Amino acid sequence: MKQTLQTATLDNGIILLGEFLPGVESVSVSFHVAAGSLCDSLASQETGRSCCGLATLAGELMLRGAGDRDSKQLVAALDNAGVQWSQSVSMSHGSFAGAMVSRQLSDSLKIYADILRRPLLDQQQFEPARQVVLQNLAGTEDDPTHRTMLALRRAHYPSPWGLPSEGTSADVTELSHTDVKKFVNTFIQPQDMIISVAGRLDWPEFVKQIKALFSDWQGQPPNPISVGKRGEKICHVPYDSQQTHIALAWDVPPYRDPDSLQATAALAVLGGGSSSRLFTEVREKRGLCYSVSAGYQTQRDFATAMAYSGTTADRAQETLDVMLHEIAALPGTITEDELDRVKARAKSGLVMQQESTAARAGAMARQWFHLGRIRTLAEDLKRLDELSVESIENWLAKNPLKEITTVSLGRDPLEVPDAVSP
Amino acid sequence: MQFRHEQLPNGLDIVAEVSEAAHSASLGFFVKTGARDEYDAISGASHFLEHMVFKGTDTLSAEDINLRFDFMGASANAFTSEEDTVYYAAVLPEKQHDALELLSAMMRPALREDDFVTEKQVILEEIKMYDDQPPFGADDRCRALFFQDHPLARSVLGSTSSIEALKVEAMREYHQHRYSSNNLVLAASGAVDFESLVKSTQQLCGEWKPSPPTNRKAQFSTTQSGIVTDVITREQAALEYAVRMSPGPAEDTNDRFAAKLLAVVLGDDSGSRLYWDLVDSGKAEHAACHHHDFLDAGVFVTQLSCEPETTHALLDRIVEIYQEAENGLSNNEVDQARNKLLSRVVLAGERPRQRLFSLGLEWAHLGRYRSVSDDLATLDKISREDLHRILAEWHLPASSATVLAGPLLNDSPST
Repeated sequence: MKQTLQTATLDNGIILLGEFLPGVESVSVSFHVAAGSLCDSLASQETGRSCCGLATLAGELMLRGAGDRDSKQLVAALDNAGVQWSQSVSMSHGSFAGAMVSRQLSDSLKIYADILRRPLLDQQQFEPARQVVLQNLAGTEDDPTHRTMLALRRAHYPSPWGLPSEGTSADVTELSHTDVKKFVNTFIQPQDMIISVAGRLDWPEFVKQIKALFSDWQGQPPNPISVGKRGEKICHVPYDSQQTHIALAWDVPPYRDPDSLQATAALAVLGGGSSSRLFTEVREKRGLCYSVSAGYQTQRDFATAMAYSGTTADRAQETLDVMLHEIAALPGTITEDELDRVKARAKSGLVMQQESTAARAGAMARQWFHLGRIRTLAEDLKRLDELSVESIENWLAKNPLKEITTVSLGRDPLEVPDAVSP
Repeated sequence: MQFRHEQLPNGLDIVAEVSEAAHSASLGFFVKTGARDEYDAISGASHFLEHMVFKGTDTLSAEDINLRFDFMGASANAFTSEEDTVYYAAVLPEKQHDALELLSAMMRPALREDDFVTEKQVILEEIKMYDDQPPFGADDRCRALFFQDHPLARSVLGSTSSIEALKVEAMREYHQHRYSSNNLVLAASGAVDFESLVKSTQQLCGEWKPSPPTNRKAQFSTTQSGIVTDVITREQAALEYAVRMSPGPAEDTNDRFAAKLLAVVLGDDSGSRLYWDLVDSGKAEHAACHHHDFLDAGVFVTQLSCEPETTHALLDRIVEIYQEAENGLSNNEVDQARNKLLSRVVLAGERPRQRLFSLGLEWAHLGRYRSVSDDLATLDKISREDLHRILAEWHLPASSATVLAGPLLNDSPST
């Protein structure tokens, strides 16, 4: 498959990534500013009070009017251009994205330039924006799986990575309009911003327009974030629910580490797909749960393996025991067949990503953030082909699993063994 | 994109939308059966059977099925609704035959007793999982109140007691009755080799037996649903969740698209009347209106989540918003909603996996094909007057069922 990947860097530090995808009418563009929830902690240092949720509140307020459009006019302009737009905040980035029929790209870029460079940050809109963030936080209180994963993040990640990106009600209630204006002025800036575009695309024209809209913008990247303490290794959240939720986390290499492929392949054997060990042992053979899985979450400098299951309280202990047993039993037992299945699933995923302009734009931006480059599909497929059981086993042998963070949410705490053994 | 259709002598329909630009092929069996085809003693059987289909055939174990899907790199799954049970797999084009061979074998499951006992536990876990999550069963309860003795009142999951009481013999009988060749549609989309698909399907499914067609439609008169409310109390919930249903056009009417456009104007997730009034202002966590259509009925579903003490006032406000809409919609808001929907249709049209469901369900329900261009043309033709007519005809402010779930008690006074 012939692939057309493009990159460019503007003098002010903005990185442009593009891929022409044949056979589609649409194009997707995403803007990733280095103003994620980790910047909340920098604001906390400056103000001397905890500002968890500031990045999220800033993102909410930035969409409430920009340039010469008020809040309603801004949404109407995006909707009328048929832009399927979204806004989100991760630990590292504040992101704005849109998918549309390609002829609308030029007009929508102007709107996004307004949102990023000329948000109104209207005082009248501040309180409603804060209420929206508080309402969303109250909503997540009622989602037991989400609460479990938040507790896992708090327990396993060092501060401030463990803090919730969406904020906390206590902090958001204390934030002011001035806090948000300061945040936007300080952190919404062009250095290290990634603009990723995929689909039916005229690349030279796109670069020309981005330069016209953004090249006279200047700013400084945020200071490095200092790594703080981690939480407790074992944690139980009392909650009156029918099911007990179990989440486990342990350290694995980040995406940019050459060994990350070995680690993610081992994780896929453990908990990816319906023939994985966790799905087979916990759900298929024992019928202990409806959902069980394992996955990989990476930051730039460290990464985490996570496993999750939700099950009735009186079967939770058995579920945890089986999960821990399967994790411990992995080294020395991976088969060629298991790796073949992992490869087949990964290959399909990579190829099918080419069918979604939005998925492709997002994937390119992530790859650039972690690697400083985009790999071609051929390169990714070659890496998969070269992956062997031996290399995974070697990696597992050299990196024995020492500690697992265990979080449960439900009526009763669970017994967690002191050491991990098969 | 090219549409193809063949029918095997045993009545099995094969439909495909072939796209040369696609990188993948999606295949799915669409079984014309769901919760509405059940009766009390087998409530939840369609969904339970969907799980059992993955537990193997006379020659394949559950593990074999999982292994084979993963070896072909398939993204495979299934779902059950009130009217349909759908099994699908998205694969790279060279795996088309493998995926078809496995999916078609699965349509004739062994339904072994020991698998049935184990999987029953998984179903009971799934019921508990949903019961712990918003809207805490308010959607099922509301549908039961709204549809009353109509078959659409039935719960897809069933209840803990109906699942515990279900016997494998009853499931076998249900399967034999509902999975006959003429009650299934095989749909395919993307980079599909249609000639090969038909040939393989004839070999793999040609022996399946048809059964006499059944009439799945029932009488649903809108007067049947008066204004009813119910409350499910969950003391520890942070928010109150409300589900409200009122009648709308069914799927075999020409008004189905206009009803969907109207729902976008009134209650889309952003940019709609409910959004600006309730969500953008921070009064509610979520407020939305959707239109769902079924074989013989349609419904406008309103969802609200908010602080418990504001629930009754906000529900009243929603009724007011619907009344205000009856006074007239502006051209701008109708066009804005239309532009959003047009864009959604175009973007969804690029993904074979998304097209599969439109293609398969349209054929299973109405025996016809609608292309992306057909949908775009229909949307373009809908006028503001069409929406006004629907508002007048279906009168959203009146005649509804509403269920609340959250900290409020049954006797909480209106504010």
